[in-house]
Amino acid sequence: MAGAVVLAGALLTGGCKTTVNTVERAQPSAQREMVADKRILTDASLARKVYVVGVNEARNDSGVLQIQLEVVNQTRSRQRFTYHVQWFDGAGMQVSSTTGAILPCVIEGRETRFLSAVAPHPACKDFRVQFMESTR
Amino acid sequence: MKRCILALAWLSLAPVVWTGCSSGGARRIDAGGRESITTVGQVDIQDFVAAAEASVGKLLASGALDKVPKPPAILAVSLVRNQTGQQFDTDLLTKKIRVKLNTSGKALTTTTVGLDGVAEDPLAKQLQGEQQKAGVTPDFTLSGKIIETRARAGDVRQSTFSFQLSLTDRRGIALWEGEEEITKQGKRPSVGF
Repeated sequence: MAGAVVLAGALLTGGCKTTVNTVERAQPSAQREMVADKRILTDASLARKVYVVGVNEARNDSGVLQIQLEVVNQTRSRQRFTYHVQWFDGAGMQVSSTTGAILPCVIEGRETRFLSAVAPHPACKDFRVQFMESTR
Repeated sequence: MKRCILALAWLSLAPVVWTGCSSGGARRIDAGGRESITTVGQVDIQDFVAAAEASVGKLLASGALDKVPKPPAILAVSLVRNQTGQQFDTDLLTKKIRVKLNTSGKALTTTTVGLDGVAEDPLAKQLQGEQQKAGVTPDFTLSGKIIETRARAGDVRQSTFSFQLSLTDRRGIALWEGEEEITKQGKRPSVGF
C-alpha cells in the first residue's frame, strides 16, 4: 500500500522535476572578466534556489558596458523569478532610463543560465541587479 | 469578563485589518511593475517595456549606430506595423526606443522627416522651410512589425508577440535587425509576472 502511494506521488511530481543536462568545452577558450560582487540577501529562500554564480563584464567597441550574470537553479524543479538591472554613472548617480524593465525568467531544474544586460549610456560605470521571486 | 471584552475587541478589529491588506479599490502602481496585470491575448504595458529595453540593449551592443561619419546618428522613424488583433498605437514601442536612444547619446531622432512627407512636428518642418535650410538627411530609418501567433490546448491559451525591428542605412541595407518574442500562457489574466 505504502509503495503504491510513493509511486503515485512520484508520478504526480515527476512532471515538474525534469532537470537539465549540459555539455561544454572542457577548457573554455574565452576568458571572462569576473566582477568582485557584494550581495545583500533578504530572501534566503530565493538565494538558495536561484544562486548567482558570478558576474562578468565587458565593454564593446563603442564603449558601452555589458554585464552577464551566471545563475544556477540549485533545485530539481522549475523556478520563476524576476530581475531588474539599475545603472549608475561615475558619480554614483542612477542613470535615468525611461523604464527600467522588470524581466521575468524561468529556469529549469539544475539549469545554468546567463542573464545579459547592456548599459543605457557609455558613461555607466556601475550596476546593481535585484532578484525577486515571481508573484505567481 | 475582561478577557471576553478584549477578545471581542480583537475580533471586531480583524476585518478592518484584513480589508486593509486586500482592498480592491483603485490605486497607483509602477508602470510595467510587478503588480501589473498580465493578459494572455493582448500586448501589456510590461511587454512593450521589455521589448523596447531588449531591442535597445542589442542595438547599442551591436555598435551599428557608431557607423556614421558624424555621430550621433540621425534616425527617422518609418512604419512599424501592428499586425496583431489588438488595436494600439505603435508609439508605445517606438517612443520608448527613441527616448532610450536619445538618452544613450548614440542617436537623435528627426521630427521633420516622416513617411509620405508627413512630419511628426509640422511646425518644425514649416520653420525649417521658411528659413530655407537644407533638410536633415537621416543616417538611418527604423521600421518594423509586431506579429501575434496564437495557440490553444483545451482551456489553456497561448500568445506569442514578435517585435521585429530593422535599422536601415542610406544605401537601403538593414545594418541591424532585431526580434524580441514574448510568449504568454494561461487561462485568464492575472496580476504579476
